[in-house]
Amino acid sequence: MDEFQEILEDFLVEAFEMIEQLDNDLIELENSPEDLDLLNRIFRVAHTIKGSSSFLNFDVLTHLTHHMEDVLNKARRGELSITPDVMDVVLESTDKMKGLLEHIKETGSDEGAVDVAPTVRRLEAILNGGETQEPPAAEPEPEPEPVEEEKDLSEMSEEEVEAEIERLLAQRQEEDRKRREAKRAAEAAGEKPEESEEKDLSEMSEEEVEAEIERLLAQRQEEDRKRREAKRAAQKEAQKSAPEAKEAPQSSAKPAAPAKKETKAAPKERKTTVEQTIRVDVKRLDDLMNLIGELVLGKNRLLKIYDDVEERYEGEQFLEELNQVVSSVSLVTTDLQIAVMKTRMLPIGKVFNKFPRMVRDLSRELHKEIDLVISGEETELDKSIVEEIGDPLVHIIRNSCDHGIELPQERIEKGKPAKGTVQLKAYNEGNHIIIEIVDDGKGLDADMLKMKAVEKGLISEKEADQMSEKEAFMLIFKPGFSTAAQVTNVSGRGVGMDVVRSNIEKLNGIIEIDSEVGKGTTLKLKIPLTLAIIQSLLVSVQEEFYAIPLASVLETVRITPDEIQSVEGRSVLRLRDEVLSLVHLADLFDVERVFSMGEHAYVVIIGIAETKIGLIVDSLVGQEEVVIKSLGEYLKGIEGIAGATIRGDGRVTLIVDVGALMDMAKNVKSSMQNLEDTQTAAEKSSPADYNILVVDDSKTDRAIMRKALEPLGVTITEATNGVEALNLMKEGSKTFDAALVDIEMPRMDGYTLAAEIRKFNKFKMVPLIAVTSRTSRSDRMRGVEVGMTEYITKPYTPEYLMNVVARNINLNVEQTV
Amino acid sequence: MSNQLEEVMKKQQQQQRAPQEGEIEKVVQLVGFMVGDEEFAVPILSIQEIIKPIEYTRTPKTPPYVLGVFNLRGSVLPLIDLRMKFGLSRSKENEDTRYMVIRHNEEVAGFVIDRLTQATRIKESAIDPAPETLGDEQNMIYGVGKQEEKLISILNVEALLRRDF
Repeated sequence: MDEFQEILEDFLVEAFEMIEQLDNDLIELENSPEDLDLLNRIFRVAHTIKGSSSFLNFDVLTHLTHHMEDVLNKARRGELSITPDVMDVVLESTDKMKGLLEHIKETGSDEGAVDVAPTVRRLEAILNGGETQEPPAAEPEPEPEPVEEEKDLSEMSEEEVEAEIERLLAQRQEEDRKRREAKRAAEAAGEKPEESEEKDLSEMSEEEVEAEIERLLAQRQEEDRKRREAKRAAQKEAQKSAPEAKEAPQSSAKPAAPAKKETKAAPKERKTTVEQTIRVDVKRLDDLMNLIGELVLGKNRLLKIYDDVEERYEGEQFLEELNQVVSSVSLVTTDLQIAVMKTRMLPIGKVFNKFPRMVRDLSRELHKEIDLVISGEETELDKSIVEEIGDPLVHIIRNSCDHGIELPQERIEKGKPAKGTVQLKAYNEGNHIIIEIVDDGKGLDADMLKMKAVEKGLISEKEADQMSEKEAFMLIFKPGFSTAAQVTNVSGRGVGMDVVRSNIEKLNGIIEIDSEVGKGTTLKLKIPLTLAIIQSLLVSVQEEFYAIPLASVLETVRITPDEIQSVEGRSVLRLRDEVLSLVHLADLFDVERVFSMGEHAYVVIIGIAETKIGLIVDSLVGQEEVVIKSLGEYLKGIEGIAGATIRGDGRVTLIVDVGALMDMAKNVKSSMQNLEDTQTAAEKSSPADYNILVVDDSKTDRAIMRKALEPLGVTITEATNGVEALNLMKEGSKTFDAALVDIEMPRMDGYTLAAEIRKFNKFKMVPLIAVTSRTSRSDRMRGVEVGMTEYITKPYTPEYLMNVVARNINLNVEQTV
Repeated sequence: MSNQLEEVMKKQQQQQRAPQEGEIEKVVQLVGFMVGDEEFAVPILSIQEIIKPIEYTRTPKTPPYVLGVFNLRGSVLPLIDLRMKFGLSRSKENEDTRYMVIRHNEEVAGFVIDRLTQATRIKESAIDPAPETLGDEQNMIYGVGKQEEKLISILNVEALLRRDF
């Protein structure tokens, strides 16, 4: 059973790949119906699928492909000319074939999915229609196997064809040898192209052999027919040796011509197909990508540590070596990241491939003449993006064909060629891929667009007046906007360009549009190469950091609190004639307000499609490239969070989901009022209720201070450095009434500590007393700046220290002493 | 042919299973820990690792017992405070506090516990189902293990890792 499943999967993969190519080939064939190579290729697809499906017992599929094969075979032999009508039927059967394959993929069976009967009938009709010109082929063949009466090769059983091929190959090799010998005898002719090409069949690649077989088969069929005619004339003189003998001189003369053609075709084919590939499960690549992501984070961390070390050990010898290691690690990591990213890349041609067929169908449906010119199909994109980009492109191209390109009559009147052109281009630009869809149609009329939009109530007249041309073009992406004068089958069915836009934005992409009336329209999609790594703007709110995808950030502005106005209980900001609704990120995410708002706040203006809002944050940290990590099943889909990333310091930073954030913003009422410190200090009944924090790295100094304060009877807590002290205060298990702070300490010095403490609302009023041997004026100044209340210089008398502390905590000294 | 193959596979599986069934009694290895004043345990095989507290990032819009997410060698894992999950006050971090990283199938999360106690082996027969009177709606208790002097509540790892918000 498993074995069967495996074969089936292989079959499906192969079949879908072939069909993709088939569509393109068929379209090309319509343009050059005489191209035998092309026909052969198409025939082969039908043939292969027929063979495999009959082996796998897919009767319906076999039935259909069998008929397709017959028709194609006929065309291949030149007995049927490829007219658009024939193409329609062939394309229809290709579609049916796709349908069947899809059904097989889903259910494992081809029954009951697609009704192939009408298509088969049409195929038969073509087949019979063509056959009338052909002589009835009911006569016995002079074949070694007399079991069956044979019409042509396509009806031979697999084995017979195989045998026939063998025979022909042997014969061909024989001829080759003869010819070579003859040639050698005549002259050593190494410079002749046939020589190298035909040296040895066993040295040919599979494709070449295949092509050769096809050619021989065709030739053989040709001969068969001639033979049949000859036979008829000679009244059934069935002599097996006769045709053989006749064949030999004929073929020795003939192959020289096609052989030359083949030398040209062969190298081209080799380039496209002889690539060495292996199939890898996408999940494995994803795992690999995750690992690389971790490596990137590790590298970032290493860089950060290096910076720290560099500061501390400036000028040391080992720094240089460390620097070398760090930079080589970071270089290799980046290369590795790119390499793995590339393994996930697919050429965008995968998507582009289906468009020739689509445009062909559209132009027939719309009675227009449209040429689709594709370039840059080899440009590569991440697999996940390739999968997502298809639908938006379908919409855009449909739109270009339907609204852009005019009817042939109209075009001629305008002095343009009757045949319109739609160009589809892809190319790289930095970390982005650009996809351009250019048509030479009637272009967009900015004024008309504005008028329409006003009519439909999408924008006000005033807005319309102020709109630039580019902004007007963007109107077509508004929901509910359709420029089609009449609703056609192709577009104007409600699913419009707004869907395109939101799809592109989901990929963190950007759309630009450019147009000139009468000349045409250019749509430009700018899409990041991968979804796993994005550019982000890091912002901070209170003590928390968040990353906002840069693609959604329109601009940032710095404001003062009084610029924020209130309308109906909502905060708004007036920005260049525009009123922007504001929401504080802290309100959205219920961030604890420990810091009071500074003099300035920053507004990050984020936008998706037409809506935009201002997000108030405390500060902008900077722009950073972040690796997106999932939050896992347990936390999946938290409102407003798209994922997480690990920063250089190893901390996790959450990435906001801009779309969800905007929805959340609608329901959040601003609470901009400053939180007043509501804590009421507990009543102090005895000196022991007073808590004093002593921060000094020297044990002796701490002991001296403790001794000096002993007479007061207050409770003393010690900390050996700034970080420890800050944590003690933040933790809040004790409320400190004052702190004695040394300036020079490891990890965090006294100035920084004071500044940090003062950031907290509830510590605004706590007396901070600097106790230090730094006596210069500038040191004192700095102390005041960061928020020290008093400045005591060492050495000091114990009484002095005691008095200063007592004064600052309002403790009556006499009372206790 | 595939039928034959299947039969062979079946036979092999049976052979593999046989000795296990023959075992006299199954023993479960548990890791015990304190949350509040009560001792709990989880099967040792469900524990990926136990680490000392590290910095975590708060996640908004989650229940209070979800403290946030933390970085375990490049993976972002949720951190859940078991005290709060069990309706106690939030735990104060001290030197006994540990993050227990528990895995069930693909699900991984860190749980804050107050203190590790010991690893024990307990016979499966010594585990009783959780008393129905417990009112354990979320099915969080897998059973109660009896040891010489005390009872240990064995937690249902799957329920612990099930998202309930």
